[in-house]
Amino acid sequence: MSLDPPLPLLVADNISKTYSHNGVDNAVIGDVSLKLYPGEVVSVVGPSGCGKTTLLNMLCGLLPLSSGAVTWRGKPLAGMPERVGYMLQKDLLLPWRTALGNVQLGMELRDNSPAEIQQRSMEMLAKVGLGAFHTYYPSKLSGGMRQRIALARTLVTNPEVLLLDEPFAALDFQTKLLLESDMAKLVRSEGRSLLMITHDVEEAVSLSDRVVVLSHRPSCIRDVHAVNLGIDRTDMMAARRAPQFTDLVRLIWSQLEVRGNND
Amino acid sequence: MTDLYHRLKTRIDNSGFSSERLLIVFWQIALLVVLIALWEMATGKAKLNAFLFGSPSAILEHFIKMALDGTLLVDTLTTSGETLLGFGLGNLIGTVIGLALWYSRFISKIVQPYIVAIGSIPIVALAPIAIIWFGTGLASKVAMSTFSVVVVALVIAYKGAMSVDEDQINLMRTLGARKWQIFCKLVVPSSLGDIFAGLKLTIGFALIGAIVGEFMSSSEGLGHAIFKAGSLYIISKVFAALIATIALALVLNYSVGKLEQLLMPWRTFD
Repeated sequence: MSLDPPLPLLVADNISKTYSHNGVDNAVIGDVSLKLYPGEVVSVVGPSGCGKTTLLNMLCGLLPLSSGAVTWRGKPLAGMPERVGYMLQKDLLLPWRTALGNVQLGMELRDNSPAEIQQRSMEMLAKVGLGAFHTYYPSKLSGGMRQRIALARTLVTNPEVLLLDEPFAALDFQTKLLLESDMAKLVRSEGRSLLMITHDVEEAVSLSDRVVVLSHRPSCIRDVHAVNLGIDRTDMMAARRAPQFTDLVRLIWSQLEVRGNND
Repeated sequence: MTDLYHRLKTRIDNSGFSSERLLIVFWQIALLVVLIALWEMATGKAKLNAFLFGSPSAILEHFIKMALDGTLLVDTLTTSGETLLGFGLGNLIGTVIGLALWYSRFISKIVQPYIVAIGSIPIVALAPIAIIWFGTGLASKVAMSTFSVVVVALVIAYKGAMSVDEDQINLMRTLGARKWQIFCKLVVPSSLGDIFAGLKLTIGFALIGAIVGEFMSSSEGLGHAIFKAGSLYIISKVFAALIATIALALVLNYSVGKLEQLLMPWRTFD
């Protein structure tokens, strides 16, 4: 913790994305600017098909921008930013690797000693509650367990920032709440930052410090809400019981302009 | 007695043999027995010309004779040697090139029409070239066998490599993987499923290549035995060698299946 005013980790400055197909321009992201500060948990919600995943992929350098600029720690984005973990709705576990082998993947790609890889991966697997399952292949595990392994794989490289794209969308409600709570603990206790894309407004409000609401395509920022629930932010049930919770969820829902006919 | 019956029954139940499965196996064997019996009777009563169609008893006689004078063993070993060499070489070359093409979309686009053209050559049409280039010995049969495998193996490995999930590649990139790491840790292992499916397919092609090579010029091998017996109108001997070929094909298929289970333990087989 430094005494200087915190510099944002990530700044997106008027970024946009337009796909051209057979001479027809299709603007997905109109104009989005946002900042992510160290230790902050931010969710981006938007109507379905508004290009949330496109936005996330642009922020971490997987997709080129059409205009605007992204800076990480004050430096313009070039290739993959350092110390950023990325996690999707699909767990993307490698079926030929055991639970432990999957967690080890990220560390193997860098120069770590085998003993260190083994030790830290086992620790991380235990932290997500799956220490006893380290020899299991993913095909033998449930969806929730697989997503826990994916979380461990993301966290074991000790990223400063997590970028998540609907990580819990495929899980049942109970599993989702448990996993959200565990993730909130793992992120907040280590002072990591989190930027999460979701379509689930309750998830966004219960997890985040700030919720960014996007409009329909071409997406712009419609509103930004600070979430002050006045409770321990690692308990997803307590968050749902907080008096401000329901009002904020309702307000965001009304801003999403859910339309009957999806195009 | 009833105790023994129950013990046997639970053993059969546990081994996955349902009564339906037993019934199916029974009828499969029964059908074979009936067909052979009809064949034997028809040739015995001269309804069917035994000279043209052979007879089960004569086939068995030839089979035993070939087994006793050692030609059956030599022929089978020769053909399986040619097949396995061609199978191994063809798959090795094809798989390596097919996977390597993943590396450069540009090069793969350039070579695509060539691969299609080479792949469309009927294997028999290459026999004269194989003999001129590689002689009448083992090498020409291995070449024929290799050639009937290599393009299929190449296409399968390439398709496998190209069908790797784009999100998975992105994930590797966010973990800091370089291209060769993505290749070694993701593309190669995830293509294994396709490559093994290709092995099951190409083991048959390798056998075809070896037999066709033997038809053209040879001094031993099952294809040689079939060709020679055919030219001499010893139909029962043709059938005897054919049965040995079928047996060889089944053994080879089974072995490749076993190899797959051994090398891919994360797959659940049923």
